[in-house]
Amino acid sequence: MVFARTCSVAVTGVEGVVVEVQADLEPGVAAFTLVGLVDKSLSEARDRVRSAVVNSGIAWPQKKLTVALSPAALPKAGSGFDLAVACAVLAAGEHVEPAAVAELVLVGELGLDGRVRPVHGVLPAVLAAVDAGCRRVVVAEANATEASLVPGVSVLGVRSLRQLVAVLTGAEPPEEPVTEGPDVSSVLPPGAAAGLCSTSLGGEHRPDLAEVAGQRTARRALEIAAAGRHHLFLKGTPGAGKTMLAERLPGLLPPLTRQEALEVTAVHSVSGTLPEGRPLLDRPPYCAPHHSASMAALVGGGSGLPRPGAVSLAHHGVLFLDEAAEMSGRVLDALRQPLESGLVVIARSAGVVRLPARFLLALAANPCPCGRHGSAAGGCECTPHTVRRYRARLSGPLMDRVDLRVPVEPVGRAELLSAGRSESTSTVAARVVAARERAAARYADRPWQVNGSVPGHELRSRWAPAPGALQRAEQDMDRGLLTARGLDRVLRVAWTVADLAGHDRPTASDMDAALSLRSGVVRGAGLVGSLP
Amino acid sequence: MTRPRGSDGGDPAGNSRTDDCGVDVCAPEAHDPGSPGDRGDGRAPGRCPAAQGGDALRPTDEERLARVALSAVVEPGDPVVGGWVAQHGPVEAWRDLQDGRRDGSVSRRRWEGLRHRAGRTDPRASLAEAAACGGRFVAPGDPEWPSQLDDLGAAAPVGLWVRGTASLRLLAVRSVAVVGARACTDYGAWVATDLARSLAARGWTVASGAAYGVDGAAHQGALRGGGQTVAVLASGVDTGYPAGHAGLLERVRAQGLMVSELPPGGHPTRHRFLQRNRLLAALTRGTVVVEAAPRSGALATARRAAALGRHVMGVPGSVLSAQSDGVHQLLRGGAHLVSRAEEVIELVGAMGELADVAGTTDPRDLLTEPAGRVLGAVPPGGAAAVEQIAADAGCGVAGAQAVLLELCALGYVERSGESWSLRR
Repeated sequence: MVFARTCSVAVTGVEGVVVEVQADLEPGVAAFTLVGLVDKSLSEARDRVRSAVVNSGIAWPQKKLTVALSPAALPKAGSGFDLAVACAVLAAGEHVEPAAVAELVLVGELGLDGRVRPVHGVLPAVLAAVDAGCRRVVVAEANATEASLVPGVSVLGVRSLRQLVAVLTGAEPPEEPVTEGPDVSSVLPPGAAAGLCSTSLGGEHRPDLAEVAGQRTARRALEIAAAGRHHLFLKGTPGAGKTMLAERLPGLLPPLTRQEALEVTAVHSVSGTLPEGRPLLDRPPYCAPHHSASMAALVGGGSGLPRPGAVSLAHHGVLFLDEAAEMSGRVLDALRQPLESGLVVIARSAGVVRLPARFLLALAANPCPCGRHGSAAGGCECTPHTVRRYRARLSGPLMDRVDLRVPVEPVGRAELLSAGRSESTSTVAARVVAARERAAARYADRPWQVNGSVPGHELRSRWAPAPGALQRAEQDMDRGLLTARGLDRVLRVAWTVADLAGHDRPTASDMDAALSLRSGVVRGAGLVGSLP
Repeated sequence: MTRPRGSDGGDPAGNSRTDDCGVDVCAPEAHDPGSPGDRGDGRAPGRCPAAQGGDALRPTDEERLARVALSAVVEPGDPVVGGWVAQHGPVEAWRDLQDGRRDGSVSRRRWEGLRHRAGRTDPRASLAEAAACGGRFVAPGDPEWPSQLDDLGAAAPVGLWVRGTASLRLLAVRSVAVVGARACTDYGAWVATDLARSLAARGWTVASGAAYGVDGAAHQGALRGGGQTVAVLASGVDTGYPAGHAGLLERVRAQGLMVSELPPGGHPTRHRFLQRNRLLAALTRGTVVVEAAPRSGALATARRAAALGRHVMGVPGSVLSAQSDGVHQLLRGGAHLVSRAEEVIELVGAMGELADVAGTTDPRDLLTEPAGRVLGAVPPGGAAAVEQIAADAGCGVAGAQAVLLELCALGYVERSGESWSLRR
């Protein structure tokens, strides 16, 4: 046999493409050529694979060896092809049965000693393999749990090439010692989003809403944001508790469905931020990049093929941008596309990558550079011009997509020291789940689930509010204080308020609450007054 | 100073002039032919400027040219130079300035400054510049001159530069200034827009200073209300300030007026902003402050308005908001609290233009005493016998019975057998 083939997966963004790895042996001067648009890390596979094979006690074929990865036009990167390349070579050299490897999908990096190391992006790779009809997957043992999240596939986790060869030849797999020394498998390459995102581990302390004193309006706004997936803007003086509130928002979101969890895990698998020992992320992620974040860090990118940015890491979770007015305007405006479409499309010379990015945006900003503008205590030194400039940094088009604008007032001494505990996260989350169920039942035959993503025309034509409820909104439109798009957004929020209150359709007070949240000007009984 | 008396809004030519400050000058005048109003109430007769000199009712070409020149030389609101100009008349003042004949009332240092400026002033060029951008110069005595500015006395402007098609006098007759903080809150912008829109829709001109924040919102509201609006500027009318409001000012010009004391090309300074506020206060019948921090320039406008006997009004805000602090101080100092356009018009408009009282009274509040007590004694849920009700209300059974029948007739209670219950 001089020719053998097996399969691996090339992951671009969070989408995988099954790649056929072909090995061909010809008589001639011993050589090893790797073709098929491989990048630097992949071309190094030649040296790793040769050493791994030799150190596993198998003779390296002394012939002219060519390994081709097809489709040849697809750019390929990373060390995950090592295992597939090695197997193809071994099959071509008839060390293993070529038919045994032809149907396999192999993903894993090889060490020079023949050990198989875990790689990033195993989940999307296995998903792609299943989509392509492959049913048997071989990965590093450390990736095996992640790979077996995908239904309908048999996963073999191996510690070394020797073990794999033994399995393929039907021999007794040798016992491999567990890796000694420092564990490098979890060390991330530079540029990975380590620390950018917290994926709310089960064992960790999870912030609870009961720890927040006072803040009735802001708490209510968080509840509405979570129930309808409405984007949120918290404005207030430093120390008023904006960050504290935002950190508690993911806890209010319902747990992820299986499908959502797989999507979220896929993104985190690619960026290498999966927590150890917990392959499936079933809680909404929380991502809070620093305000100095670059465009690539926020929306994804980097040289060559783009990596997921914060917006994708916050997929089905919360993206919190603290000190949003300090962020670069270009970076902030880049959020507009994902906010509209729920995904990021990044084009580079090497190809176009589509990353999921359906997140709940929470912005927080001070009222002015010194942060004291408008507070009753006074002491703001900023000129009106400075204040205006500072506010104008959050562009109109971005703010137009934010439905809830919430002033966060500093908590008074009495509220802070009062003995009564406020409502806990679980109480509020239960209401959120109930409200989401009402909305989901209403939109049962529609592609959307939450009020925040219902198109405006649908909202106006199919779902009318209670008679007379629109009166104040109509007045605002006449006054030129509310645009047509603004009305759609107010209607969406009003539906969420109604869902939370258990109303069949938005009443006048639900609309008042929505209008207050949209414009920042309290109308009617205001937000707290509309509590059920 | 020429003091044409455009009294009763008619042709000023119909009035006679006297050289002294006679009856004619100090008589209360109604600026608005349409609404007699309570206009003169707040104005002390003595506030009328001591006008002397100047014989012509309509300014001559020479006088107009002199005023154009002086508008570039005299800093807005300078009472010393203003008094000097008023005493000698603009023509002579301008000639003296050119020839270097110093008047005793003007200090030597200031005289040098004036001379320096006069040497660089070309009134014809200013007029040409104004004409190029569609502007014009309005001098006291012109039919378009808003004579309420004479309330400013020696600090009255020597003339006004105006851009726009409307007549300044007619617009200013029924006008209210809506001013406030530049760094306003959403609430302030909302209120200013709504207030201006309602005022404009009721035929009132909204005047403001075209600044960011409340001022801009007020202009925008008035434009949306389809009404007219006047932007009183601290810069020349050719450019307008701030630059970011160029589009807004263009719409103001098309639907109202841009007004300034400075010739085209004039730059705004801190001092000129304050003097602009005095003009805004004097031009309008009243000033509404929507949002203002304690040190806001909007409060300066309100103080000017109060000193001129104009109505001063404030829109309250949250007591937690520093942006409303200044307004609240103003209200504590005796300004009128307003929350709607109707309440503003009630103050500045004609007699009888009253605002509705918000909220309707509960007819139950009007019930006479035993009836109110008996109604209160009827249990809110369920029914009670008349004896029980009488005991709870503290009156006799017969009396309670009579009152209950009365209440039944009024539709408050209903009877089922021997017991009474509230009607739903």
